[in-house]
Amino acid sequence: MIRFYALVFLVISFTALHGQPRKKAPSFNNPAQNPFGYFLEKQWWIGLKVGTNFVQIDPVKRYSAVSPTNYLSSETEKVYGEFDKTGSQATLEITFYYKGFSFSLQPAYRHSRFTYTNDYEWTDPENVNNRLELHYYQEQKVDHAEIPFIVKYDIIGNRLRPYVQLGAYYSFLINANKTVEVSGIDYASGGINEFTNEPVNVGAKDLFASNHWGLLGGIGANYNLGNVRLNLDIQYRMAMSLINSTENRFGNDRLSGIAEAMDDIKMNSISISIGCLFPMRFLASGFKTLDQR
Amino acid sequence: MRQVTFILLIIGIVSGLISCLEETNPVFDENTFTKIYDNNLFNASYNPIDMVQTPDGGYLILAGRRLQESNFTGIYLMKADKQGNFVNAIEVEETFVNPIARLTFINNNYYFFCMDPLTLQAHIASTDANLSEVTISPVNGGLFYPCAAQLNSNSFILLSYDHIAKLSVLSLVSPDGNISQSQGFSIGTGETVEEPIINHFIRTGRQYPFDVGRVSGGAYYFNGFYNYTFSLVFTDLSDDTPNGVVQGIQDDGGFSAIQSLGGSKFTAARFNFGDNYLLPNVNLNTSGISSSVDLGGNTFPELESNTTVKIHRAVVNSKNVLVYGSNTRSKQIGLYFYDEANGTFLSSKYLGFSNPFEIAQVISTTDEGLAVCGLTYMAGRFPRICIIKLDKEQLAGI
Repeated sequence: MIRFYALVFLVISFTALHGQPRKKAPSFNNPAQNPFGYFLEKQWWIGLKVGTNFVQIDPVKRYSAVSPTNYLSSETEKVYGEFDKTGSQATLEITFYYKGFSFSLQPAYRHSRFTYTNDYEWTDPENVNNRLELHYYQEQKVDHAEIPFIVKYDIIGNRLRPYVQLGAYYSFLINANKTVEVSGIDYASGGINEFTNEPVNVGAKDLFASNHWGLLGGIGANYNLGNVRLNLDIQYRMAMSLINSTENRFGNDRLSGIAEAMDDIKMNSISISIGCLFPMRFLASGFKTLDQR
Repeated sequence: MRQVTFILLIIGIVSGLISCLEETNPVFDENTFTKIYDNNLFNASYNPIDMVQTPDGGYLILAGRRLQESNFTGIYLMKADKQGNFVNAIEVEETFVNPIARLTFINNNYYFFCMDPLTLQAHIASTDANLSEVTISPVNGGLFYPCAAQLNSNSFILLSYDHIAKLSVLSLVSPDGNISQSQGFSIGTGETVEEPIINHFIRTGRQYPFDVGRVSGGAYYFNGFYNYTFSLVFTDLSDDTPNGVVQGIQDDGGFSAIQSLGGSKFTAARFNFGDNYLLPNVNLNTSGISSSVDLGGNTFPELESNTTVKIHRAVVNSKNVLVYGSNTRSKQIGLYFYDEANGTFLSSKYLGFSNPFEIAQVISTTDEGLAVCGLTYMAGRFPRICIIKLDKEQLAGI
């Protein structure tokens, strides 16, 4: 999938650059540099971005299908991996620029992955060989359609224009899958028997929230190249609502049968994207542009 | 005007989007859950026997536990809150063993029967909804080996086994342990006739579906051994000759569960050389001798051989329903729903996956759902108690 995104990005970039090779790069956004500054105070941009994301899970309330009777439940709590799995996203960016501020709608398809582990142990105080350790490794793959609305501010620059951004997003669940792998060490079988069971793979769409939202902030930079802009964008997303389904927590028998129940969790993430943006309004004939307003 | 409409539209869309968001909801946590009550001791072993819902919405479970120094089953009582979380438990000392169903609520206390492992005498135990303490006192009158008990008004119908006279004994016992009526029925003579019964108690043999009850305002009945056969016996407790007997085939055939629906109408399940048959609506001859083999029934090859069957009368979707709970060969708990009025099959539901699950009891809950208490094997090997709670939405299709 990442290869596909990269290929699409390269094709679009190449087409855009190759299609207008002799144009002198106009400075679209610096009215002081040209007589059409009033025109360049605002501009529409459209483009495509692709990239990768890394997820961090914030457990709001802990749940488990296992209720311990003689030990603390914290001993078997899930331990979440932090930014340890790469996801991916493809974003269509539609941005309106006005006097240094950009108002951007960036609908995206986002594939996120996160993991957690938990451990169980059974022992016999009278016989050290009576012992079993189990290790649960669980990976979630979640696909969302996302609609972020972002306000950017260009800090400085002309050709290279770094910016800061703030916004909010709303996500719709598309699909989710879950893989549970149970491994362990059995000391009671006459030796040290290390084993790994066949992973349990299940569709887990019912276990996730249909919608969630959050806030985002980040930095980025645009580089004006010909008539197009190359874009590097880094965003941090802070979820404001749960991404799991609170109603269907125990809805999957295959998972609850092996003592798995999802916590109430929020999903924060870091996204890194690169892309290419195209102007939608062009200047008049002296600048070989299309806009005649 | 146009601006106001636009603002209202935006507010409406935002409200709609926000209303779709997930929030931690304690009601959902109570409505449906699966809980496995784990003990991290390698040799710990529990077998749930019965469960009731307490007035606070929690659950009280009566279970057996493995004892290191005795062949009998020890007593374990456990309380879970309304979300199924473990609250506390009592491991009753080993001087009392063999707890039996049912766990019965009378006068703000929960009662069950057990026995002394040395004298084998039946005892009655009680506790409250919070498991503050367990009080155990002997049943006056020399009853041994309690097998099954059931509430009868404000007293109990108790089936016990007299190993001296080799009798199945049916008694009416008050909560303070006094016997108001009692009658013994011979299981037969000979050294080997009681062997399967003793093996049942020390759990080295088959677990028999002993049961007791009463036809509304009429005869008492017990499901147990009589005259060399595992039989359903009807009696008015006035004579050691039963009013009626529905015979099995020694211990290879008989009823695996039975409940009176009034008069001669019963809901039952029977076993026959390993096969299982559900009879949601059957008329039994309560006076005279008949055979359970002749009763037919709906056969369920998916069920384990001679499996445990629990029958629960419930109201589901405003309909009187019979819920059969049993164990499948695929190690799941199967729930089968029948219309109580005519015995029509309504639906089925299977619980548990990945690890083996076995049924202990199914009850109705105050939120019009069902709670199933069972046994599962953590890591495929450690016997642990579990509760699977279903809400009424999950039963909506029935």
